[in-house]
Amino acid sequence: MFLKIAIKNIVVYKKRSIVTIVLTCFTTALLVFASAFWDGSHNKMIESAVEIYPGYLQITQKDFRKTPSYDNLIFDAQSVRNTLTGISGIDTFSERFESFVLFSSLEKAVGGMFTGIEPKKEERLSRLKKSLKKGEYLSPDDHAKLYIGSELAKRLKVDTGDVLSFVGTGADYSFAADNVTVKGIFQTGLFDFDARAAFVSKSYFDEIMAAQNYATHFIVLPDKPENAEELAAIISQKLGKEYQSLSWQKTMAGLVQGMKVDSIFGYITLGIIFIVIFFVIMIYTLLTVFARVREIGILRAVGTTPSQILRLLLLESALLGLVSVIAGGLIGGALAYYFELNPIVISGYEEQFKQYGLAASAMPAIFSLSTLVRDMIVMFVLTVLSTLYPILKVNGYRPIDAIRQ
Amino acid sequence: MKIKYLVLMLLCLLLSGIHGFAADTESIIKRVEDNLNGKTAFMKFTMKVKTKRSERTMKMDSYSIGKEKSFIKITYPKKDKGITFLKVDKSMWQYVPRIEKTIKIPASMMLQSWMGSDFTNDDLVRESSISEDYEQRIVAEDETEYEIELLPHEDAPVVWGRILMGVSKKYFLPTTVKYFDEDDVLVRILSYEDVKKVGQRFYPTHWVMDPKSEDKAGHQTIFDINEAVFDEKISDTYFTKRALKRYSK
Repeated sequence: MFLKIAIKNIVVYKKRSIVTIVLTCFTTALLVFASAFWDGSHNKMIESAVEIYPGYLQITQKDFRKTPSYDNLIFDAQSVRNTLTGISGIDTFSERFESFVLFSSLEKAVGGMFTGIEPKKEERLSRLKKSLKKGEYLSPDDHAKLYIGSELAKRLKVDTGDVLSFVGTGADYSFAADNVTVKGIFQTGLFDFDARAAFVSKSYFDEIMAAQNYATHFIVLPDKPENAEELAAIISQKLGKEYQSLSWQKTMAGLVQGMKVDSIFGYITLGIIFIVIFFVIMIYTLLTVFARVREIGILRAVGTTPSQILRLLLLESALLGLVSVIAGGLIGGALAYYFELNPIVISGYEEQFKQYGLAASAMPAIFSLSTLVRDMIVMFVLTVLSTLYPILKVNGYRPIDAIRQ
Repeated sequence: MKIKYLVLMLLCLLLSGIHGFAADTESIIKRVEDNLNGKTAFMKFTMKVKTKRSERTMKMDSYSIGKEKSFIKITYPKKDKGITFLKVDKSMWQYVPRIEKTIKIPASMMLQSWMGSDFTNDDLVRESSISEDYEQRIVAEDETEYEIELLPHEDAPVVWGRILMGVSKKYFLPTTVKYFDEDDVLVRILSYEDVKKVGQRFYPTHWVMDPKSEDKAGHQTIFDINEAVFDEKISDTYFTKRALKRYSK
């Protein structure tokens, strides 16, 4: 009964219905798409920043992050390995030893980062292997083979197959130097990283840098990256106070903050747009509802109660809201889905992105049903709320006054 | 009138005093540098590097002419034997037999540790230029020592914000040298001890470098001079790039 009348009214008052539907539909689509795009691009930025090299979870000796010296190494890598093996929720983990050396080719000498990695495990923890540009990636038993950043190779003027030397300090503070052959050149897109990093197999590193059973970092890939924080806490507890276990949210706090600020500004902008739109809806509702004051007065006069009228009017705006939110959700969702498959390429900004340590310029949206439903519910509630004031106002009239209007 | 004369006299005294002081400081530093470097010097010394975890001993021979040129060769341990360093003016090269290569140490590596010790490459190159790069001033004096403050000239390419140098009045040799960074935080103390008669001169034979920065807690580097010959002729052939490889053996 109510439904029929409500539908009839919606059809009769075309102008109001269309304006409400169009506006709400547009706003919903906008919100759905904006959320999808922000989430997607932030995920992408974090993913690329985290996965290129730092990893989702880092374990170091407790003072290493503050004072990264050879006095603050992980001196018993085996025991850390044993402990990590017994913790569930870990997909893979691997150790690294980072050191600073002087690289020297025939042409030039350049300071840089010289790191021992476990090539097989590292494949899954970072994008080092995927960033291969020329030659080959490392294998575990490589002896004196170097995997070098493209910019560093360029500065040293070396290519695959060339021999270069490094001079540095071993983990026991002794002098360390050797000749290594360039096996592969990588390019992650992070200029700074490509300009200073070079890798060798950990077995070779341990031998030449006197680093047996030592490490600067353990990098952990959680089963579920979104659980990195919980996992870090569990690992901290198991490893004890000698070690520090931090998730990417901590190791890359600056980036995380940046994302938050970006989202907040985005939502503020959207919020302002929404306020304007809902005022428009409210005013339209106000106008149409007041145009119907006489009709409402008559309904009251023939015995309809105020609460019945309230229900009728609310049902109307709820129906309108529902239709437009669903339509908007579909449009926004479709856009999100499309741009998830075909990321938006922000061309010309690659350089700026690199300055922030971001290697990606293609920003995908992310289609998530839960976010979609969340946004639709928010918009539905807002639409209904924006019609509430006019409805209550008109319902406050006495029938006799209403009819005379 | 009397007061005027008095003031004038005082002024004259003061001015002459300041002038005399400045000249004094310069000559003190000059004497210290001469005593420490000699015209030429050949030395055999032992370097001990202590860290929280370990202690390493290295032995080396050093040849130098004044403060401009020096050549160092590692003679012990076996693993590092034959590594040579050449310093000519403000450039530094290193030869490593294992990689058969001579490397010029770039400016960016100057503050890196020298052979894992608490000395930096920069120390080897620049320690010499105290008389050129710093403004000198005596800030305190007692019966046995001057305390001289060294402040870098504005455009001087130095890493220290301030240096406080104790100088023995008896030997005109440094006793302790305190290095402060640009925020005037004490970074390290170098002590020259055990002054002994070496040939015609007195020389500190036990040098201790005590770093004070947090990342170097528990570290210490000790130089013991086992043998020293001053002012004998040293062949120029040591101070060429070719010498690095030639005398490495």
